[in-house]
Amino acid sequence: MDGMGKGTVTPLASLFPVEESQKAAKRVQDTIAEKEKELDHLRVFIADNNNLINLVQKLPEELHHDIMVPFGKAAFFPGRLIHTNEFLVLLGEGYYADRTSKQTIEVLRRRGKSLESQVNSLEAIIKDHKAEASFFIATASEAAGGLVEIREDYVEENPSKQDLKSGPLKQDVSGLAGAERETTSVDDKEFARMMARLDELEEEERAAERGNLDDENEGAISDFDEISYQRPSDNNLQNSEDIQRRMALKQTNDIATKFPKEHKYQDDMADHFGSLALQSQVRELSEGKTMAKNLKNSDASEMSTIYPEEKIVHATNTSKAEVQYQASRPSDDSQKASTSSTVGHADHTQRNSRKEDSTSSQVGCQTSEPSFDSRRAFTGSIIEHAENLPKTSGEQNSSSSLVSGSQPSKPVSRFKMQRR
Amino acid sequence: MDRLRQEKILKFEEFVDQRLKPDLVRAIAERDKVFEQQKIFSDLRRNIENLEKSSVTSLKTLVNIGSEVYLQAEVPDTQHIFVDIGLGFHVEFTWSEALNYITQREERLKRQLEEYTQLIASIKAQIKLVYEGIRELLQLPAEKPFPERTF
Repeated sequence: MDGMGKGTVTPLASLFPVEESQKAAKRVQDTIAEKEKELDHLRVFIADNNNLINLVQKLPEELHHDIMVPFGKAAFFPGRLIHTNEFLVLLGEGYYADRTSKQTIEVLRRRGKSLESQVNSLEAIIKDHKAEASFFIATASEAAGGLVEIREDYVEENPSKQDLKSGPLKQDVSGLAGAERETTSVDDKEFARMMARLDELEEEERAAERGNLDDENEGAISDFDEISYQRPSDNNLQNSEDIQRRMALKQTNDIATKFPKEHKYQDDMADHFGSLALQSQVRELSEGKTMAKNLKNSDASEMSTIYPEEKIVHATNTSKAEVQYQASRPSDDSQKASTSSTVGHADHTQRNSRKEDSTSSQVGCQTSEPSFDSRRAFTGSIIEHAENLPKTSGEQNSSSSLVSGSQPSKPVSRFKMQRR
Repeated sequence: MDRLRQEKILKFEEFVDQRLKPDLVRAIAERDKVFEQQKIFSDLRRNIENLEKSSVTSLKTLVNIGSEVYLQAEVPDTQHIFVDIGLGFHVEFTWSEALNYITQREERLKRQLEEYTQLIASIKAQIKLVYEGIRELLQLPAEKPFPERTF
């Protein structure tokens, strides 16, 4: 049992000291005694009342009654009762009423009822007090007897939950560490969402690209606005991650400069995207869109690498990326690049949403890597994970370009078109 | 030494609280009873004197038959009055006899009162004595008598 050894043993005496419980019991008993005295009083009143009722009934039978009339407390006068049917009844507060025998009896009966209700309430109170006293006495005896109270915590085993909790934490902390992270259920959900969104975006991209590059560019501009807007949010994100990613992006950007102008904006976009990466999912989605576009436009080399993250995404992303990439850059070996890029940018978005395990990303990257074989020139190790800056730094030359290219793939493309 | 002293003080205090004070309370209660009796008899005397003055022969009263329910009663002849002389006896008196009796009774009551008053005073004095002893043991400064005004 997990509880063993974790419980606490407390002697009852410590919780309810013997003396105190005895004192409490005594106090309650005193109260009970008082109440019982009052109860006796009331009972006497009721008895008197009943006697009086009988007397009042009997009196009118005679015209006169010989009695000893008291005169003060210590003297009597012999006398007679007259007007035996006339009774002066005290109604309270100095008010009296002349009543006949029957009426007096009714008055007395009503008084008796009120007395009885008082008695009942008093009895109930006494009962409660008695219960209290018995409890105290029992506690006192138990405490004196050395009873012990044992408490054990109920530990619920839920490793998945713990992992979930630790996952994001690790990611936040390590940031670029690219530590292996489990994809939490939450991440899975996010991934699913991301995937759905990406699918939509890919579809749009494809349609747009096929239709008109200019249109795409225009779209890119709008995306760019989005991106620029999103940038400020970056501040909220973990600086380390941002910085690292930005650095990665910069590096990629630097590399990107080698590429044709087309990629210029891609780089910018990449920067943006890099920062955006940290942003929320929603943003990611939009980014994803733009990124997808950028990826498409950027060199295949640039793309790909970033891909950190999540495995789950990778699988779908890669497929999506491929589709997207193909649409955007038929010229590229791009399918692979696109896959990698899309993966990257999917990863990017994923990164933003969750800080996923590097392993997953690694896996994703790995899957993307083979696709990039053609681009090996740039990629070298793609590794990806934006979190793994140190790792990627070496590769960044190759990967950064890919990264920059991959991240903004879709949006950049549009933007590029605009710039042109 | 201190230990002994503490014990002594404790004993004194206990004595005061458990013996003297309850005695005091009881004495005062008894005295109050006597006061009551005295009052009763003085009231009776006054009433009889009033009756005599107004030469009342018969009177109507309201008699309490219990729980404040009154019945009219008539006293045709007020010449004879029954007085409680104690131990459950009532003696039939005429007014003057009654007054006489009441006077004697009142004197007796006064003497009782005096006895009780003395008893109470002695108990109080004992209590004071014990307190003084405790004070000495504790070496507290003695209480100063009220400063008398000197002209």
